[in-house]
Amino acid sequence: MNLKRLYQTGLLALGLITASTAFAADIVEWNKAGGEEEEALKLKPDLENGMEVFEVCSACHLTEGWGVENGTFPQIAGQHREVLIKQLADIRAGNRDNPTMYPFALPESIGDAQALSDVTAYIAKLPMNPENGKGPWEKGTPEYAKGEKLYKDNCVKCHGKHGEGNAKKFYPRLEGQHYAYMLRQFEWIRDGKRRNANPEMMKQIKSFTDEEEKMVINYVSRIPVDPKDLAPSKDWVNPDFD
Amino acid sequence: MKLSKTLVIIPAALMAISMSAAVQADGAALYKSKTCWSCHGKDAKSPMLPVYPKLAGQNADYLFNQMKDIKSGARSNGQAAAMKGVMGMVNEAEMREIADWLATQK
Repeated sequence: MNLKRLYQTGLLALGLITASTAFAADIVEWNKAGGEEEEALKLKPDLENGMEVFEVCSACHLTEGWGVENGTFPQIAGQHREVLIKQLADIRAGNRDNPTMYPFALPESIGDAQALSDVTAYIAKLPMNPENGKGPWEKGTPEYAKGEKLYKDNCVKCHGKHGEGNAKKFYPRLEGQHYAYMLRQFEWIRDGKRRNANPEMMKQIKSFTDEEEKMVINYVSRIPVDPKDLAPSKDWVNPDFD
Repeated sequence: MKLSKTLVIIPAALMAISMSAAVQADGAALYKSKTCWSCHGKDAKSPMLPVYPKLAGQNADYLFNQMKDIKSGARSNGQAAAMKGVMGMVNEAEMREIADWLATQK
């Protein structure tokens, strides 16, 4: 009886926690210093343990860390470690809603701040998918050109000339990311659904139409990634999990 | 007459068996490739959180309808939000195969 009661209370508590973290609607401060993010950034990463922790992530992001072209899961391979730490810490702290990923990001699933440090170092070093999902317009089309101009006018200052981002400022690397994933995140940032978005970016893209959004992301999805960061072929298999 | 009937029945039965085996293999493969198992467990009965359901042996139509309703948004209660994120990966034919396979699991 007592045990059953305890179990039910536990379930209820878990349900409430999940509900409150998954559906809270407030915009949070973009990057409040401290917390697990700062802790993980300072810890020296252990790549061997990072590989072990990564097995949890690979259930969705694949053992290559390439995600899926339809954008359900992003490519995380090659992303800046700082960005990965911030996003993981934000999801754990309830600052970014990701009900699908939430239980996988919990300390019970992947471990403490040291584990964050380890797994992100491992992911950042993975070679990237040479055939990421791209938008519909090839180089030479007017839509591509419009997207290129939009990128130069609006995005280059933070995300860099070729979408390389800025690790120190937690600006993500965009080159090589799947088109469909970027579309969703862009919309969520523009429309206030991604609560840990940078307010400067929210302001910058506020007036983008859906058409402009597609054109700018089409351009980004087609920025060629430095071959030294890419896997030799799309059939490459991560030998750590062979 | 009798012989010809048998001749028809045997290939039909064989075909039915091989078809259901194909559905089984596809359902099992889809259960993994569409990442269902990440949350519901490799054996479909060891979910990663206690509030996620065990699926092995569940009624096929019930499974199919839950998938369909979570995908369309008709069902948005409980843990549906966690699953909605991956429903873009499956169409109705695939949901049906996954549901049929899960129902056969013990």
